Amino acid sequence: MMTLITELFLMPLVAFVIGLFMVLMMRKIGARLQRRVGPPFFQPLIDIIKFHSKETQISHGLIHDIGIIMAVGGYIAAETLLPVPGMDGIADKGGIIALTYFLMIPSLGLALGVGQCANPNGSIGISRALTAMLAYDIPFVIVIFGVSWHYGTTNLVEMVNYQQANGWGIVEMPILALAGLFTLQGIMGKQPFEIYVAPAEIATGPMVEMGGKYMGGLFIMQAFQFYTAGVLYTTLFLGGGENWPTFLMKIFIVVSIPIMIAYMFPRYRTEDMLRLMWKWPVIAGLIGLALVMH
Amino acid sequence: MTLLDGLILLALISVLVTMLGYRLPVIGWLTSALFAGQLLVLFLMSGLGYGGDTIHSSVALSIFGQPLSWRFDALSWFFALITIGAALASSLFAAGEWGRQYRQNGGNPGLLQFSLALNVLTMLILLASGDLLALFIGWELVSWASFLLMAMAGGAAFSWAMRYITYATGGAMAILAGMGMVYQMTGSLQYADLMAVAGQLSQAQVVILSLLFGSGFAIKMGVLPFHLWQAGAYAETPGPGTAFLGSISSRMGLYGILVVLVQLIGLGRLIEIDISFTWLSLRDLLMWVAAITIILPTFTALRQNDARRLLAWHGVGQGGYMLLGIFSATALGSSGGLMHVFNHATYQAALFLSVYAVVHRTGTADLNKLGGLVTRMPLSFLVMLVGIIGLAGIPPMNGFVSKWLVYRSLLIEGMPLLFVASVIGTLGTILSVYKLIHNMFLGQLRAEHSEIREAPWSMMLPMLVLSLIVFITGFMPGLALDWVAAAQAAVGLPVLQHSLGGVEMEQGGLDMTWLVAVLFAGFGIGALLFYSTGKTRHVNQLDNYAGGHFLTADVRYHYSDHFYAGLMHRIGHWYRESFQWLESVLISLTGFVAQGASGFYRIVQPALLMLVVVVLALWVVR
Repeated sequence: MMTLITELFLMPLVAFVIGLFMVLMMRKIGARLQRRVGPPFFQPLIDIIKFHSKETQISHGLIHDIGIIMAVGGYIAAETLLPVPGMDGIADKGGIIALTYFLMIPSLGLALGVGQCANPNGSIGISRALTAMLAYDIPFVIVIFGVSWHYGTTNLVEMVNYQQANGWGIVEMPILALAGLFTLQGIMGKQPFEIYVAPAEIATGPMVEMGGKYMGGLFIMQAFQFYTAGVLYTTLFLGGGENWPTFLMKIFIVVSIPIMIAYMFPRYRTEDMLRLMWKWPVIAGLIGLALVMH
Repeated sequence: MTLLDGLILLALISVLVTMLGYRLPVIGWLTSALFAGQLLVLFLMSGLGYGGDTIHSSVALSIFGQPLSWRFDALSWFFALITIGAALASSLFAAGEWGRQYRQNGGNPGLLQFSLALNVLTMLILLASGDLLALFIGWELVSWASFLLMAMAGGAAFSWAMRYITYATGGAMAILAGMGMVYQMTGSLQYADLMAVAGQLSQAQVVILSLLFGSGFAIKMGVLPFHLWQAGAYAETPGPGTAFLGSISSRMGLYGILVVLVQLIGLGRLIEIDISFTWLSLRDLLMWVAAITIILPTFTALRQNDARRLLAWHGVGQGGYMLLGIFSATALGSSGGLMHVFNHATYQAALFLSVYAVVHRTGTADLNKLGGLVTRMPLSFLVMLVGIIGLAGIPPMNGFVSKWLVYRSLLIEGMPLLFVASVIGTLGTILSVYKLIHNMFLGQLRAEHSEIREAPWSMMLPMLVLSLIVFITGFMPGLALDWVAAAQAAVGLPVLQHSLGGVEMEQGGLDMTWLVAVLFAGFGIGALLFYSTGKTRHVNQLDNYAGGHFLTADVRYHYSDHFYAGLMHRIGHWYRESFQWLESVLISLTGFVAQGASGFYRIVQPALLMLVVVVLALWVVR
């Protein structure tokens, strides 16, 4: 029991630290591709501290605050559902379906918080974000079905055990893995699918009224989001974590792929994202599913 | 006299009291007390909910040599619990200030309470039916009682109610035909006799029986393609009546399907029957009908601009999950389908009541004429938030658990397309409920709403209790799963092995107590992080970035209309309204035939008269 409680505290903490490194990696990759030096090592942490210690912290009401708390708290809870080397947390009590729905709680919190701000630009951003979710979740659930069917379980710990005994999922289900990688681009909100985050034009996206620690909360959320995407993909297709060095290598490689693609692409409109997401990854997912289930 | 007699007698007394005392100012409280009494009697029978023996009524009749009997088993008890609970919540909501305002606006709250009591009585009679004839009598009573509730507001409500009763009559005809067939095959209308021959029926007989009974009951459920009446009819019903209808009324159809298709004929028979030229069995076909019933109404709801319509359309769609789960015929899936009946009733009632609390204060349910109400009506917002999380099927509310059970069973059974279809329905629901809560409670508060107050306590109490139930049965689903398991046993479905937190399984179970506890711990840490740093300053809602514009309260600054413009750009042209078209074709066809018949009669009538005259004349001159 004590080990479980320790794990429950440790897992989000580890996720946070790794997530910060992933944010750093994203900035470094971006910088190198644009022939810049990039930020120093501690920049992500410094940013978070800076956001939280700003003098002006504008609140648009209680739900604005609660939205940020839900966004961060929801991810903190979700990290305990993702098994990492040596720590399973409560992964056996939820499984992949519960995790998928758990990951909607932070988004819902963000949506509520933005809604309270009474800024139509924010609301438009949320309308785009939810539409994007409808776009990438359809191929994503096809992938989830295929993977769970193949491993015969929804338990992520069992999936890791299966892969460590029988070889990685990406070898046995290459097409599903490809479809999964495609949807990862959307889940992480990276170019060409980043219009719903609108990081380049904050004033016309969901973050328009977010400043100070509100922005800081979203920054933390982004770190968790990167970590979650990387670990989830690794658990489903890359054999999960045997030990920390290989596990870290896998999750950083997984996260670096969407980031590298992101810096090479401009942006699609929301409706084009729908078209794209409902076409190629769905086709690939269905073919992969047919191969898995035949 | 058994407890069941007592329950029905008390329901009858409630009807009589509301009928005689509908002018009394305290009639609302009185009816609520009577409903509470019925709930108490039901609790005395709660042994049923945990697998106790069937309770028979001491009343037994015989019509034309057909014995009629009434009894309560675990399934009846489960549905009766939801029915009376929904009625109690609705009645309490209407008892205080809502009823007074309704009376001032020319309505008759006593009539509303009477209709509620009548609906409960008829539903109890239906749920207690012990043979097909009693079932049919109960079914007709329920139809006309809901017609009364729908039609009592007059005007548009009346024409929607007429539409309902047209459909319902068609459904009753189908059921009657099915009963005729059963009678012809077995010579009796007893459940046991049909059950005894179910194994020997030919495939054609099973197909015809399930289509007749299935479509008859499905009309009440609003299963596609019989769904067009429901949203309008429910939305036009006054206030708490909508909450009652939306949460339980249409599930009577599900009860009928459970009794006839699942208990008497048996899903095993439906699975055996393959449909030619497809790889589907009859059961699979019904599951696909359920899946389409999830998707199409959900995306219709997404386009609604009236909060009541939006919720009513979701009511149609959520029925699909129940059917999908039950037709899966597994312990997991059918428990999900049955539990969803309970869950849907709780959050849907909470949602409708919170919408009506807003209507009570603002006078409108138009999603383009509200906004920002969270600062004025925070508790109603909370109720709606709990409700939409339940409706969307996101943890930690109970809607997630029942949907999880359905998803999990589809996964085990290897039905990927149905799985994806049901998730698409959930995603569409999330989009649509966010629009609901955003357009009503978030965004900019309108100047004319700046002084409104929270709904009074008489209305808040049922809303808060309902949302508490939504949360508690999400946190500890085992509480409701006990009843569900007993109901499964009663209709002969495989029984789900469950724990307080959900389901324990080798290949991935669910333990909500842990998940919810960790979730709230996460929120706690998030709150600690948030509140321990930087002091916030609250600003006026108009104090925000407007791209250089100067904002005043006169300018509308709330993004509400055409909320999902990007999505509609892509899927807008997929809304063909084919079913509306089909219905109108049917209506005009009927009209055409009727006109033709009357024309034929008019043409033929003079000729016949002439003939008669000629014959008479010939007879005279002969």
